[in-house]
Amino acid sequence: MTKEEAQGSTEEEQQAQSKKGLKKQQKEAEKAAKKAEKQAKLAAEQQSTEEDDFAKDRYGVLAMVQSQQKLDRVLVRVQDFTPEKADQLIWLRARVHTSRAKGKQCFLVLRQQQFNVQALVAVGDRASKQMVKFAANITKESIVDVEAFVRKVEQKIESCSQQDVELHIERIFVVSQAEARLPLQLEDAVRPDGEGEEEGRATVNQDTKLDNRVIDLRTTTSQAIFRLQSGVCMLFRDTLTKKGFVEIQTPKIISAASEGGANVFTVSYFKTSAYLAQSPQLYKQMCICADFDKVFCVGPVFRAEDSNTHRHLTEFVGLDIEMAFSYHYHEVIDSITDTMVQIFKGLRDNFQTEIQMVNKQFPSEPFKFLEPTLRLEYTEGLAMLHEAGVEMGDEEDLSTPNEKLLGRLVKEKYDTDFYVLDKYPLAVRPFYTMPDPNNPKYSNSYDMFMRGEEILSGAQRVHDAQLLTDRAIHHQIDLEKIKAYIDSFRYGAPPHGGGGIGLERVCMLYLGLHNIRQTSMFPRDPKRLTP
Amino acid sequence: MPMYQVKPVCGSHMETELPTCMYRLPNVHAQQGGSSTSEHALQNGEVDPAVKALEARQDEIMRKLYELKAAVEGLAKTVTTPDADLDLTVSSSLSSQSPTSTTFKGVTDLDTLMGKDLGALRDIVINANPAHPPLTLLVLHSVLCQRYRVLSTVHVHSSAASVPPQLLSCLGPRHADSYARQMFQLGFTLIWKDVPKLQMKFSVQNMCPVEGEANVARFLFKLLSPYPSDPAVATLVDSWVDMAFFQLAEGSAKERAAVLRALNSALGRSPWLAGPEFSLADIACYCCVLQSGPASSTPTNVQRWIKSCENLGHFSPAKLFLK
Repeated sequence: MTKEEAQGSTEEEQQAQSKKGLKKQQKEAEKAAKKAEKQAKLAAEQQSTEEDDFAKDRYGVLAMVQSQQKLDRVLVRVQDFTPEKADQLIWLRARVHTSRAKGKQCFLVLRQQQFNVQALVAVGDRASKQMVKFAANITKESIVDVEAFVRKVEQKIESCSQQDVELHIERIFVVSQAEARLPLQLEDAVRPDGEGEEEGRATVNQDTKLDNRVIDLRTTTSQAIFRLQSGVCMLFRDTLTKKGFVEIQTPKIISAASEGGANVFTVSYFKTSAYLAQSPQLYKQMCICADFDKVFCVGPVFRAEDSNTHRHLTEFVGLDIEMAFSYHYHEVIDSITDTMVQIFKGLRDNFQTEIQMVNKQFPSEPFKFLEPTLRLEYTEGLAMLHEAGVEMGDEEDLSTPNEKLLGRLVKEKYDTDFYVLDKYPLAVRPFYTMPDPNNPKYSNSYDMFMRGEEILSGAQRVHDAQLLTDRAIHHQIDLEKIKAYIDSFRYGAPPHGGGGIGLERVCMLYLGLHNIRQTSMFPRDPKRLTP
Repeated sequence: MPMYQVKPVCGSHMETELPTCMYRLPNVHAQQGGSSTSEHALQNGEVDPAVKALEARQDEIMRKLYELKAAVEGLAKTVTTPDADLDLTVSSSLSSQSPTSTTFKGVTDLDTLMGKDLGALRDIVINANPAHPPLTLLVLHSVLCQRYRVLSTVHVHSSAASVPPQLLSCLGPRHADSYARQMFQLGFTLIWKDVPKLQMKFSVQNMCPVEGEANVARFLFKLLSPYPSDPAVATLVDSWVDMAFFQLAEGSAKERAAVLRALNSALGRSPWLAGPEFSLADIACYCCVLQSGPASSTPTNVQRWIKSCENLGHFSPAKLFLK
């Protein structure tokens, strides 16, 4: 390089440096300016906080409720906030669903189970700026006690369940504060899947929901589902009690596997081991032999099936029925189907709000059924499947896709989501199923389907000890293990039959949901043991 | 030398037959049939042929009596009814079925009409609105029951509000064998449902649903007897059926009056609507006339025709229903 060029380059460098330097200086200046601004702001705020807070005693965090005093305060439920209560001063306890500040006002949505109402704190002679700031900073899901006036509104508040009123807050106290960062947001948990994808908003994964079940159960959808489930249980009990059934409780720790050795949980029982009951089958039958005539039981059922499907759980609630009949096992079918129809009617007539709420997140067709229930024979079902092009043997069991196809065909022809398939082939049923009197290929057994999926498997049971022994030998079952069972039929047993349904599956199929974990509060499957 | 000579009392020489055997038993092994000797063997509880002949004569007489009775009844009906099967009633032999079952002539075979038997009950599903019960179909159902073994069931769909009990029992009492669906040739499933228009479904794969009471009536009628082969008569029957459903049942008072007039003039010319034979047209029109209520101004021909229809006995379910 020549001197001049070198000089030129250094000059350029110097110029560049100076440019850079200028830039640097500019940046620093900006930074300083910003800092100064902030400090000024803080100072101003501090000034404002030091201003007289006249509303200091009308808000705050309450001391933990350790039953310090017994207040005679009446707390009003959110669902009771209607225009009739206008201008009343009331207290309520609810969760803070959302809170957002807008200038001198803060809007809160207070929620109780599936109902919510809008509440408002505005800077004025009753509320100070600090109070509004406090309200805006209450974390979501905190539980608050609020004293407020109920006011009518001109325009309906579309986003709340109580659309005609809003609350003007006089006092607000936090009873239990929630942590700032929630593992999942309730709006996301309630958002329908399709909407989430379209608008790019978040929806919550099922696993996350199940891991944080306590929060997930607070959503309107979950509340509706489990209220409906409670309704199913209640209708089941009421209908059967009216029919003269007796509720029994059967033991769950048993000495022998009832349905077959493979899918049973073993527990250690003092010096030996025992099993968790796969079904109350044996004990229901023993009750019939003990002259209880008609029994039902509601209790847990444990199946150690390593199936990770949308419809299997390892522990679920079984609703089981068993009854003695006079001459034909169709008396049993009629009784069970009538019970199911009464349950469906009860849900249709009394739980419409819950059904609609679930449909908002999980849209589905309403559940249709016929009264009396449609009963098709297995051969008819096979004929319908053959017509639709499915190849199946006469004595084969229906596979899950075939069951679903048959369900669709039945729906198309008869427009019902619930039907009974009668006279299954003997080869695919357990050893205690009574064979058909006229055709040894078939049996007096039946399955019931909802929306194409099986919910109940039942049959006329063998009530003769000799025939039972023969059938057990035919199925290569160790007679020693079922000796107590066979013995119960040796001292006079009436002809009887029955069946059992799974509570979670019935709810799932009634609502048209797609995963049984949505209808089980704390589901158990091969991969999940908590919560 | 004898003292007195008396004339001999009896002949001098009498030959007496001395029997050679002590007892004579009837021959156990004799197989002669037809001889009416009193010594003929009666084996194994066989009835004395004389008694048999007597019984046979009695049966014959009773049969002739019944035939005469049926003939007289038929004749009595023909006095008021231009009965299409007059010939059949009089000359029908030993038929203990009611004459109505032979009304519909023609050979029909379920396999050709409904497709191959796949080993399961052939179930016809009809969805009807409880506000508009289909009388025509109830009538056709009762005729079908006489012809085939029909399993009839009534259901109420969850979409229908409460349904009056007479609608639940409109297909008659439950068949004793209804627990064994396979024993029946045909299934007739009536579902009371909240549908805008009556609908029938049979074979979901091969048939689209049939809508409208008129069309379902045509389908069911074809199971009883084929449509008249003469296209003119067939068209006439069709047009009457349509007129019944569209104008009589659903039309305004003016249209109904017009149809009644048309009925009157048609019935003046022939005993039944489509000529000399009873057909679907008569069933359809009768039911629609009945449903539209008794009118004081029904023309004379129509009234006569109504009585003839009722004489046939098909329409008892419809009449019972409307009561």
